[in-house]
Amino acid sequence: MRDRIQEALKRSKADYTEIRIEEKETTRVVFRGKELETANANIDKGGIVRCLIRDKGWGVTTFNNLDDLLTKVDQAYQCAQVGTVPEPIELALVEPVEQITTAEMKRDFRDITLAEKKALAERYNQVLLGHSDKIIDTQSVYSDVFTHLVLANSEGTYIEQEKPSVMVAAFATTRDGDNVQQAYESLADTRGYEYVLDKDELVRKAAQKAVDLLEAKPVKAGQYTVVADQMLAGVFIHEAFGHLSEADFVYENPKAREMMTMGRRFGRDILNVFDDGSIPDQRGTTLYDDEGTPARRNWLIREGDLVGRLHSRQTAAKMGESASGNARAMNYRFAPIVRMTNTAIDNGATSFEDMIKDIELGIYACDAYGGQTQLENFSFSSGYAYMIRNGKIAEMVKDVILSGNLFSTLENIDAIGNDFKWLNTGGGCGKGNQFPLPVGMGSPHIRIQNVVIGGE
Amino acid sequence: MDILKLLKQQAEQVEVLNLQDEKTTVEYEANQLKTCTVAETKGTAVRVIRKGQLGFAASTGDTVMEKLAANALESASYGDAAPFSFPGSQPAPNVCTFDQTIADMPIARLVEIGKEILDLILPVEPEARCNIALERSIVSASICNDKGLDVSFKNSPLSLSVEINRVEGDDVLILYDQVGTTIWEKDYLEFARRLVEKLIRARTITSIKSGKMPVLFAPSGTLAFGLPLSEGLNGKAVYKGTSPIAAKIGERLFDEKITVMDDGTIDGKFASACYDDEGVPRRRNILVEKGVLKSFIYDLKTAAQSGVESTGNASRGLFNPPSPSLTNFIIEPGETALKDMLAGIDEGILVEDLLGLGQGNIISGAFSNPLALAFKIEKGEIVGRVKDLSIAGNIYELLKNVGAVSKEAHWVYSTFYAPYVLIPEMNVAGRS
Ligand SMILES: [Zn+2]
Repeated sequence: MRDRIQEALKRSKADYTEIRIEEKETTRVVFRGKELETANANIDKGGIVRCLIRDKGWGVTTFNNLDDLLTKVDQAYQCAQVGTVPEPIELALVEPVEQITTAEMKRDFRDITLAEKKALAERYNQVLLGHSDKIIDTQSVYSDVFTHLVLANSEGTYIEQEKPSVMVAAFATTRDGDNVQQAYESLADTRGYEYVLDKDELVRKAAQKAVDLLEAKPVKAGQYTVVADQMLAGVFIHEAFGHLSEADFVYENPKAREMMTMGRRFGRDILNVFDDGSIPDQRGTTLYDDEGTPARRNWLIREGDLVGRLHSRQTAAKMGESASGNARAMNYRFAPIVRMTNTAIDNGATSFEDMIKDIELGIYACDAYGGQTQLENFSFSSGYAYMIRNGKIAEMVKDVILSGNLFSTLENIDAIGNDFKWLNTGGGCGKGNQFPLPVGMGSPHIRIQNVVIGGE
Repeated sequence: MDILKLLKQQAEQVEVLNLQDEKTTVEYEANQLKTCTVAETKGTAVRVIRKGQLGFAASTGDTVMEKLAANALESASYGDAAPFSFPGSQPAPNVCTFDQTIADMPIARLVEIGKEILDLILPVEPEARCNIALERSIVSASICNDKGLDVSFKNSPLSLSVEINRVEGDDVLILYDQVGTTIWEKDYLEFARRLVEKLIRARTITSIKSGKMPVLFAPSGTLAFGLPLSEGLNGKAVYKGTSPIAAKIGERLFDEKITVMDDGTIDGKFASACYDDEGVPRRRNILVEKGVLKSFIYDLKTAAQSGVESTGNASRGLFNPPSPSLTNFIIEPGETALKDMLAGIDEGILVEDLLGLGQGNIISGAFSNPLALAFKIEKGEIVGRVKDLSIAGNIYELLKNVGAVSKEAHWVYSTFYAPYVLIPEMNVAGRS
């Protein structure tokens, strides 16, 4: 295959050509309620060719039939002829690399029978079902994905990577009359099957939360001091801020560039934010991105000031900066676009106790149930939450939806915890039509003043 | 060897889906034509029932059929009891989903349509950055099973989507719309003209005092009702008992001005077809009639579990087994002209887009969302854009009392058809 790829690259008439071949084997087991809903293995194998004609544009072909790469390269070249960019597209310089890496798993999930994986998901489902008679529906998911990826380009880069990933997730739905509540926990890892074993505690936590939520009262709308747990803070920094750091948002938009000017004050001195695809074994870890750029740590906010952004080779060249290792594609059906890897608020100095002790009336919001941002505006649901009364965690409340303006909200972060944590959940990030892309998120607890909480 | 034959020797029931898709996409990024993509997909998915147990497997690429068959059989050996049988051939409505004009459309024509859209927007708003995607596919699919069912479809979906982005200082305005059709439509730029109108309207920024007021939902705004309702009407949620309306067939749910339908038989619409993804004929399902709950939607499995018939709503991707899903989702237009609805509002808002729809515990009907795009209505006139507002409520309460439903209606995001809906009084919250 390597010979055929390199031959096709050599024959390309484009200024730059890139070929990515991916083979993905997926196993998925899903129990829902008392039933097994899914237990199957799928194979997805295909490729993508991307050609750049500098003064025209990009041409892309994706395909399942890998027999005739030469034709695919030619077709992509024809597609690139269609473009009419006003000025030539440049790519930031990246040293060509030749590297072949293989995955090391302690217990390789490809050696585990479907029967055993089914038994694991079934056990977690039993934990959910057996937890309370208020539980009317469950979902227990096991999935693993083994990806073999080849990336080569006309500059001499040739990278082969193996990417394993294994995940379990537990959903519980409870009901009491018209009151229906849901809770969720998940765990993902890149290191092997053993990391998803013995997770009964985690699963039970989802069940108990769904039960507790039945008793919770809806939160009263208003403005509160909010303490966000690591999960909610991690999702917040990813969704509300991280996406604005993606250079494809600003690189051809002078007004947006103004909004994201380097040095602009984004928060108080205590606020530090980074994206780093080189941290071992995190969900968004990519030693090389899908353009062959090595991962590195990119500081985005340092001591409250905006100091960096995330790039593909194209956005980096356009802005006179260097490629940051953030060009990622969900699979062979997509060209890489600027994406986050592992994004986090760096550790701070405040203990959780100190953070809440002076709050007379506030909210401790945990977990993210979903969220959406539209540039500076965001809206997030927390999975569950508690009132904070007189410096103490009090009763559970539900339907806590935080919304606001990014700039004022970041400015209102007035305490950052000393309890940093990476979150190993199974979810992913969506951008354009590429969803879900595995990303990592991390944060300590944070405290935010004057957060608007919606509700009736 | 033919995989249907191969599997029939080893299982009681077999179903084979073959899918082939060739998609051409032309993308404008920040007003510039930058990327052109041709994507080909070819794959096979099989379901088997062996010893009464259901199995599934799928693959793309040059996977050998023997491996695919083995995966499906292994899946069945751990599968749960299948409560249903694959269907035989049934007569289906004649639904048009293929148009040679679209199938033959050259890349140059897609490029030209993109330019026509830009030519509508940029003269009005030179500062706008438009991302436009023009996508044309030719999809062939076939389903055959051991009962002799052998149906094939050919679709020619064309989708045009536009995202307009205008940043002024810290004010960011984003407008998005998308249309999809499988039959060439003469007035294919109507949606773009509507966007331009919104863009002009959004220039004036005004303010409104928060509190209780009439709220007029534009067709795109009625997704706030449509999304929770689509979950509640899903046969799977009904069977699992998570739908809040599970036991309410025949009961009055909403104001009698509200009628809701699922119709997979409309010519040219994205979710239309002669058959659903299990080979059951598509049809028109009345879900809520004059406020009264009439029916849910089902695929074969959920129908069998619930002791009813499939409503022809099975939907699947290559790598997922079928599940019930709405086709074209329709809130029926009403009796009142939009201008009369506006005229009756002394002070209120028009809701175009909500932020964060579909998040949270949406099946309960509850929603609480900031407004991404809303306008102030004053003495019957739309006077300007209002920012930083949010609304919250529960659709099963709100829709009990509907002020009016407009005669005017249009398609939102290809598969949702809705009129303007007036809620006489709702709490609108401000940011501070
Ligand atoms: Zn994201």
